[in-house]
Amino acid sequence: MNSNASKINTIWALIVILIGIFIIRLFYVQVIQYGYYKNLALSYQLKQYEIPANRGIIEAYDNGNVVPIVLNQTFYTLYIDPTLVKNASKTASDIVSVLGGNFSNYMSLIKTKNTRYVILNHKITQTQNKKILAFHLPGLGTQSQDYRVYPDGSLASQLLGFVDNSGKGVYGIEQYLNSTLSGTPGRVKAVTDANGVPLAANSGNIDIVPKPGNNVVLTINVGIQTQLEQILKNDYTTTKSQGINALVMDPNNGQVVAMANYPTYDPNNYQNVTNPSVFDNGTVSDAIEPGSIMKTLTTPAALDMGVIQPNTTFYDPAHWIVNGFNITDIEQDGGPRVQSISSILSLSLNTGATWMLMQMGGGQIDKTGIDAWHNYMANRFRLGQLTGIEQGYESPGYIPPPNMNDPSIDLRYANTSFGQGLLLTPIQIASALSSVLNGGTYYKPTLVSEQITPSGKTIVNQPKILEKNVVSAKIGPELVPLLENVVKAYLQGGFSFMNFSNKYIVGGKTGTAQVAQPSGGYYSNIFNGTYIGFVGGDKIQYVIVVFNIKPNVAGYAGSYAGQPIFADIAHMLINDGYVSPKS
Amino acid sequence: MTYSNSLSINRSKYYSNNQNTVSFKTQTRTMGPISNTVVLIVLACLVGLLYLTQVTKTNSFGYQINALQQQQSQLVSQQNNLQVASAQLQSVNTVQNSQVAKSLVPITPSTTLQN
Repeated sequence: MNSNASKINTIWALIVILIGIFIIRLFYVQVIQYGYYKNLALSYQLKQYEIPANRGIIEAYDNGNVVPIVLNQTFYTLYIDPTLVKNASKTASDIVSVLGGNFSNYMSLIKTKNTRYVILNHKITQTQNKKILAFHLPGLGTQSQDYRVYPDGSLASQLLGFVDNSGKGVYGIEQYLNSTLSGTPGRVKAVTDANGVPLAANSGNIDIVPKPGNNVVLTINVGIQTQLEQILKNDYTTTKSQGINALVMDPNNGQVVAMANYPTYDPNNYQNVTNPSVFDNGTVSDAIEPGSIMKTLTTPAALDMGVIQPNTTFYDPAHWIVNGFNITDIEQDGGPRVQSISSILSLSLNTGATWMLMQMGGGQIDKTGIDAWHNYMANRFRLGQLTGIEQGYESPGYIPPPNMNDPSIDLRYANTSFGQGLLLTPIQIASALSSVLNGGTYYKPTLVSEQITPSGKTIVNQPKILEKNVVSAKIGPELVPLLENVVKAYLQGGFSFMNFSNKYIVGGKTGTAQVAQPSGGYYSNIFNGTYIGFVGGDKIQYVIVVFNIKPNVAGYAGSYAGQPIFADIAHMLINDGYVSPKS
Repeated sequence: MTYSNSLSINRSKYYSNNQNTVSFKTQTRTMGPISNTVVLIVLACLVGLLYLTQVTKTNSFGYQINALQQQQSQLVSQQNNLQVASAQLQSVNTVQNSQVAKSLVPITPSTTLQN
């Protein structure tokens, strides 16, 4: 009896001890180790996703309407888990029936060993995605991904840029406005079920809705842009050049209506580009010595200082000796004789530009003249600095500092007065000449007309004035007939394509710029052909700049490789009704 | 106050309202502690059940939300694709290469603005 009671007591004691152990263990796990196990559980149950924001689209003007030129499209990546495939042959044949392609290639991918994730195809369409998923093939799956789409192909490609595989804008507007276009990604942090679906009952869930990027409307006119690109393509062939950069700007507000470079590329297939230099927007990033188109800035500077008048004449010795170097004109200019301001521009007299620099000082090249010229170019015309146009890469160019300790400073500045020894981009010189033609206001050049926020609010990009009274208001009207005379002189000289109706104002200036050798000095047979001009009716409506890089033409590059492109653009603008004639 | 206490109070009130009754046999019925415990456990279970029902119901909304979000996402994708298709159909390249454009007959203009 005692023995039985003892046994019962022992069993009872063991049960109590066992329960005690359980209680202690539970206390340890649930109370002491609470934090550890909570975190462990959450690591399985709590999932966090970043939800990408929709990238803003880019639009432009076409015939008064706003049309999209950059959009987003959802494509799918097709992948397979080879370990789950039951019938490789059927899987491959079903894929081929929808996507086409090589059956054996798919078979080898499907049979890949030692992996659970093999990508079979990229960028399949929504329709193809639906058809493939309808087969319900084991192991096969698709993952959606948004891609940037440029429906017009290579149109405005360099000024647009593209979006790389990481979703980041590179080059052009895509790069400059990347943060504006990309928006703010959303975030979901939630306890999920086994399939990853968030459980709504969890109070700790975080659900931040993504904020889409702004839509951007460019100042670009699609019609002008398309035709500009066609003109560059044609003239690239006829002038056998290394490349052409050109732009059309409204001088009255700094808005660029067309901007193109050739050769170009299709941003939809940027990965196929073998020469990355085609990604550059040369109109803002390629600074070169501009040649004689610089005289269109030296002249208004001297006019504004009052040291010359539009009808001033002077004796031109046809050469100047500066720092021991001979500055001359071309033989066709006729040797020493009395010349005028008009002939400095129409005959493109280097000696005339040097003479104007002398007049800006004390009648010779001196510190006063050099400082004055530098002040106009660097501070008023804002050369040698970034314009701030909305592009990924911009070159500041180069204006030599007025360092009077430089023993060659006189020669250096004599050269700059007619466009050698300094570096400019097309956008810089277009903005500078625009400030003269519009009455003295330097507008920040821009490609953005307005932005539209996700809530539909329109933010208009008002013209931004960077400099007032660049030159006095009368200088523009004084310069216009001088540059019109240049066009007329070429027409009289047999350049029939420079024939324009007298209902329009058309003026301009050629530039044939020597190309510097890397080892010093200039090539004797390689030139860049440049042109800056304008077209308008009652007022100047467009400034046009052309940089034709190393063309291979007979005659002066400015006259035979730059000027014809300007003429094509000006005729296009007039003939297509983009210019209002004189009233 | 327990449930049984409350019953007896109610009955006392009833008794006082019926004083003209000839005879009234007082019968006090109370619930013991076990009954109380069982009732409390049942109530707790009911509350728990109600909680679970509500949580499940709320979570089912999560599935609905998820399904609607997926539907929204698909519709946005579809809209994007249609926008792209529309833009591609209207692009200059497409128009230039269209049958209509190819069938256009070039003519020499009699006058141009250039002259």
